[in-house]
Amino acid sequence: MKSPASASWKAPLKFRMPAAENLVPIRLDIEVDGQRYKDAFTWNPYDPDSEVVMFAKRTVKDLKLAPGFLPQIVQFIQSQLATFRSYAGQDMYVGDKIVPIKLDLRVDHTVIRDQFLWDLNNFDSDPEEFARTLCKDVGIEDPEVGPAIALAIREQLYEIAIQNVTSARENRINKKGRRAAEHFPISKPSGAALDLMKLFRSSVVRKRKEWDYYKPVLDLLSNEDVDALEAKEERSG
Amino acid sequence: MENKPRHDPNPDSTRPEEPELDLYTIPSYSSWFAWNDIHETERQALKEFFEGSSISRTPKVYKEYRDFIINKYREDPSRRLTFTEVRKSLIGDVTLLHKVFRFLETWGLINFVAPPPPRQGSDSDDRVRVEDGAPNGVRVVATPNSLRPLLAPVVKGKKSGDGVEESGVQLPHLASYSDVFGDLKRLHCANCGDNCDSGYYEYKKVNFVVCVKCFKSGNYGEGKSMDDFELKDCSEKSATNGVVWTEEETLLLLDSVMKHWDDWDLVAQNVQTKSKLDCITKLIELPFGESLIDSAKGGGYSSSTSMNMIGMKPVCLTSSEHQENIINEDQGYDGTIENEKNGDSENQEPPSKKKRTASISDADSSLMKQVARISTMVDPQITAAAAEAAVAMLSDEMSCPREIFYGDQIDLTNGSLSPTLRADAIGESEIQERSSPSESQEIHLKNSDVPLPLRIRAAVATGLGAAAARAKLLALQEEREIEHLVATVIEAQLKKLQSKVKHCEDAELLMEKEYAAIDEFKEHILGERINILRTTHNTGTAKLLEPSSVQSQTGNIS
Repeated sequence: MKSPASASWKAPLKFRMPAAENLVPIRLDIEVDGQRYKDAFTWNPYDPDSEVVMFAKRTVKDLKLAPGFLPQIVQFIQSQLATFRSYAGQDMYVGDKIVPIKLDLRVDHTVIRDQFLWDLNNFDSDPEEFARTLCKDVGIEDPEVGPAIALAIREQLYEIAIQNVTSARENRINKKGRRAAEHFPISKPSGAALDLMKLFRSSVVRKRKEWDYYKPVLDLLSNEDVDALEAKEERSG
Repeated sequence: MENKPRHDPNPDSTRPEEPELDLYTIPSYSSWFAWNDIHETERQALKEFFEGSSISRTPKVYKEYRDFIINKYREDPSRRLTFTEVRKSLIGDVTLLHKVFRFLETWGLINFVAPPPPRQGSDSDDRVRVEDGAPNGVRVVATPNSLRPLLAPVVKGKKSGDGVEESGVQLPHLASYSDVFGDLKRLHCANCGDNCDSGYYEYKKVNFVVCVKCFKSGNYGEGKSMDDFELKDCSEKSATNGVVWTEEETLLLLDSVMKHWDDWDLVAQNVQTKSKLDCITKLIELPFGESLIDSAKGGGYSSSTSMNMIGMKPVCLTSSEHQENIINEDQGYDGTIENEKNGDSENQEPPSKKKRTASISDADSSLMKQVARISTMVDPQITAAAAEAAVAMLSDEMSCPREIFYGDQIDLTNGSLSPTLRADAIGESEIQERSSPSESQEIHLKNSDVPLPLRIRAAVATGLGAAAARAKLLALQEEREIEHLVATVIEAQLKKLQSKVKHCEDAELLMEKEYAAIDEFKEHILGERINILRTTHNTGTAKLLEPSSVQSQTGNIS
């Protein structure tokens, strides 16, 4: 029986979001004629590009934005999609990868901070479902929080995936001349991945003192706090 | 495992054991569970741990997860353990942990006796959410003119035979507020933001609208010349594209739709002044138009009473048609109720084309309420005529009410009183079915001597009582039907189970036979083998045979 530590070499994965649905997180922050439009959502990269234009038109119409927003929105979305697509087909990473994901976001009156582990190899994972469970367990009623959490998770996963692509590319370039077996070291902690050997060696139950770091911390702000924070963001943004 | 709890697989059995051990209940279908082992069920459901694919997913890891979660739950079995509580204490991928958690929950190993989770969101009609203003992502437009008929968001719940019936509104992909409520939106000038009620100039190429003032003053954005603008006068408040529908035309339209469901040519012919397209547009705009079209497509009357009721509404406006429709009304419910309500309410709003649409679109299922609503909106003469027709129908059915009713006709001279008294009479005729005629006659005679307010009250009471009795009968009938259906369902299930059991038994039988056959075969082979060995031994070639497999057997022989 082979021990898992010496798992045989796995073929590198092609780039994609390490979640069940391959959606791209998109963030917009556009300012035109004194109007500011901030938004964040997920997009299906397999949708035809005509959908982007339609979406932008709809948004401008619904939110009564100045027509100057339209080309900007289209351009921003398309550029982010293009970036995503440029990574497609490239090798991502090999072997096990469990990364820590951190949440620290404010959605209207709710501030949430959390930390947990995510397995990049688990293609059943669903950030939306995790967000839903989290909101239900903690008792968050604001329906905007769930999608914001899911989006934050997706963004981090996206970042990590990109990092992995670039590091895999570097690795390959470094090892180009070698004739030896192209065996990517599995347990090498690259980027954000954790050293699984160390992590899973003893017990998978955390020490009690660490429990508070890995549970979600929820804060409800009052109206004044929200206004103050928003003003601060406007000034800095 | 410091604390070894006993688990009681059968939640009903009691054990007269030592009191130090705690008793935890788990369902009987989870009796395979054992602390020091991993069962096949677990291996099947959570294959990831048993494939040896990663150091983070081993049986040992799984067992630790499982034991921790179950122990955590058993610290306090009466509270519901949430996933978030456990995942903070366990190292590993949260999705996988969630899978383990859900597995344990479905098998009742955790949260079995805990209270069910609080339901949020969908069924919070008893909980009112007070929100300050609109949600962040939504901009608020001016409230639509409430007199305009509503458009698309009619509940499309009448499609029978569809898979899932949503209680909400079905909107197309990427639908936005302005699509759905588009026509209700007042047009705003793109320049100055004023309302363009009186008239506006529409830029022909793009959807750009400028009010009269801005057009005259010449500021309508760069790149547009005066010729490109088209004057559109929106002085009329019709929601159609500038086409005016008079009441007669609407009536004709509805009539012809009722007659020829889908055949728009015939409909257009009937409504001579309007084209096919106009007819269809107008019909869609009427709040119940969608349902008419739907039932047309369905190929029949989805529910004759509601159709008739709805169909009757706009027609009420013209007195010439009301008789026929009021008889339709009667088929659905007791005409007396409507009458009595009418007698009570003095304030009759003039029937307007706009009012009717507002109420019908949010009609609830209660017939009484609908009747009440309808009766408040039509003229008193119409409801009086309705009551007359209703009484006529009832009289046709039974002879007794006719006597009572028409016998008292002499007394009923006052126009405003007649509805009430007639209601009274009809109410009496209902009660007739249960009590003797003489009693009711007495009561009736007494009532005619009684002062007006009391008469009204009596009429109200009898009317309500009649409706209530009928409702109760209907309810009983429904209950009986339900019981019957449930019994049929249960029977069917039982039959299914029986056939399954039989199937299993047959399979078992086959298996046993096969097993026996295999045993025989095994023995046979063994016998052959022994023979061969014997012959080889006899011929003295034992040494040439391979030592490995034969050694142990021939060891004793040689």
